[in-house]
Amino acid sequence: MKVSRRIIGTLAIPCMAAAILLILCAIGGKSMIANATSFNYFVQYIAIVMITTMALSVNLGSGRFDFSLGSMAVLSSVLAAKVTKAILNGGTGSAIVMLALGILFGGLLGLASGGLYVTLKIPPIIASLGVTLIYEGITFTVTSGKYVMDEVRNPSMTAFAGSWYYPAILIAAVLALTIYLFDHTRFGYDYRALQSGQKVAVNTGIREIPNVLWCYVICGALMGIVGFLNAARSSNINGGALNFGSIGIMFTAFLPMFIGGYIGRFSNDKLGYFLAAVCMSMLNSTFAAFSNEISASMQSIINAVLLVVFLIYLNNEGLLKKLFKPVKA
Amino acid sequence: MESSQIVKRYKTRQRIIDVLPFFALVLLFGLFCAVVQAKGYRLDMYLKIIFNEGIVLAVVATGAVFIYTLGSFDISLGASTLFSATLGVMTYNATQSLPLMILVIFGVAIGCSLLSSVLASVFHIPVFVTTVAMMSVLSAIAAQIITTRGGALGGISIPSEVVAPLDNMGFKIAVLAAFWLICFFVFNYTKIGRRQKFLGGNPVCAQLSGIRINTYAIIAFVMAGLGVGLGAFLTLVYTPSVTATTASSIGMNIIVAIVFGGMPISGGPRSRIYSALVGGFSYILLNNILKLIVDSGVGYGVSQIVAAVCFLAVVYVTGINYRSKELPR
Repeated sequence: MKVSRRIIGTLAIPCMAAAILLILCAIGGKSMIANATSFNYFVQYIAIVMITTMALSVNLGSGRFDFSLGSMAVLSSVLAAKVTKAILNGGTGSAIVMLALGILFGGLLGLASGGLYVTLKIPPIIASLGVTLIYEGITFTVTSGKYVMDEVRNPSMTAFAGSWYYPAILIAAVLALTIYLFDHTRFGYDYRALQSGQKVAVNTGIREIPNVLWCYVICGALMGIVGFLNAARSSNINGGALNFGSIGIMFTAFLPMFIGGYIGRFSNDKLGYFLAAVCMSMLNSTFAAFSNEISASMQSIINAVLLVVFLIYLNNEGLLKKLFKPVKA
Repeated sequence: MESSQIVKRYKTRQRIIDVLPFFALVLLFGLFCAVVQAKGYRLDMYLKIIFNEGIVLAVVATGAVFIYTLGSFDISLGASTLFSATLGVMTYNATQSLPLMILVIFGVAIGCSLLSSVLASVFHIPVFVTTVAMMSVLSAIAAQIITTRGGALGGISIPSEVVAPLDNMGFKIAVLAAFWLICFFVFNYTKIGRRQKFLGGNPVCAQLSGIRINTYAIIAFVMAGLGVGLGAFLTLVYTPSVTATTASSIGMNIIVAIVFGGMPISGGPRSRIYSALVGGFSYILLNNILKLIVDSGVGYGVSQIVAAVCFLAVVYVTGINYRSKELPR
């Protein structure tokens, strides 16, 4: 593929989305990003969506459906917040310690989830349902079903939430690390081999179980970061979600995952997830600008319709090309 | 070990696995009665609660078995139940006609299911993603209607005397029995059920044999729609008001119920129509037993953990005969 086509293919959707949304904002007399605070939210949302999408795609790309992403994010952030409070009591460096602990706890929760799946050898979707219920139950027990607030309200967390460069650093770090891990290491090569042909890969000697466990650890660690970012953004963590109340987090990642996958055809799928997250964040900022006109329900409907329309295009691309191809005389 | 011994051992295990869900249901029922008696509560009242909770889940899940048999799954059924019930209430309030309300409930439920199946089969969108989008759209529209029309009450309702004559065990048992027998007949004694099991077990082979997957997918979704319509109607009979959280957990509980009843999530020839009924009531009984034993606010978390562990144990035992060298996906 030519470099020019790669560049155009990579940037087409983000540029089109930006153009459409900016025109809509201009027509409505609004500004997509009105001030520094909205820019902070804009970058934070990119980080949350991109990292959630990456976590979702790690296992979903290999045919393993994981409902437990949301519960991992919540439980890891609750545990990290409580331990950080116990160590630093809201003092200097609380945010960075909570982030590090969030990644650690997230990784461990991911390992436990993956360990359960490989030990019981039950379908991953079923294992993830059980894990979701267990993690939600633990979160509810630890928090008594209440919001965690004191532990995440301190000057360090406020400073983190009030700046765009911390989430930007996280975006760059996660992007670089996932590109390195999945595209330039033996783990990544094995992952791709297992993804495209599980049976053949296993028969050629690739050790599936360690690879799967690492996938779950990475997934958990990524959700640990998401849990931390959500806590920093909203200054609380909801500890009362039971009976699959936490699975909503993963649904926000479906549209960016498919958009990212499409962009990835022209460049790199991780870069695609980043650009898709930028699109989603622009859409979210536009919704915020039009919050008086567009209700939360309407936003859900628009997101769902966009998902369906994009998938109709994605899954019927060949047919559409045929339809619009000029007929040779 | 001789092959005849292996076959014998396999068959013995399979017989045990087949009766296990029934045994679990009887055991849980006995345990439930014992706990209620020990606590000194009124057994008849608690049995009524169990029945009313269980019947909606069992009915919706029984219809959903047709979808799960194909190896697909639908998490929008809860939202569909809510949406049908919402439009049913609106219809009654506008026309004061119970037959019209019932007609609208069933029409909407089947219509939603058909829309999902058309999007999936005609536009080739992955079924799961379609149902995620449907879930978002239906729950958002229902929430919008309920909050707009419900006002300070937070819900919309029909006069309780309209459905009061139907709120008795006899009517509900008759409805459940009739629907279950229809499903049982279609599933086990017609080519629809046989072909759906074939499609779920080996879709490539089934399609090469001339079975059209789209036709059977649409039939499966229509059957699920009937279950949803019936579930929505029974929900209104029990509680003649609808809030934004009505039937919210049904979508996920269906998966748990079906698996609890001994059916594999991958569908195919091992699918059983009774799984939904047995699993649905077992799951409701288990949850209520745990709620009674762990009788405190924080205890909800613990009871969910115990329920999840039981769920995973059941899945592990029922799948013990079907382990392969590779990890399941």
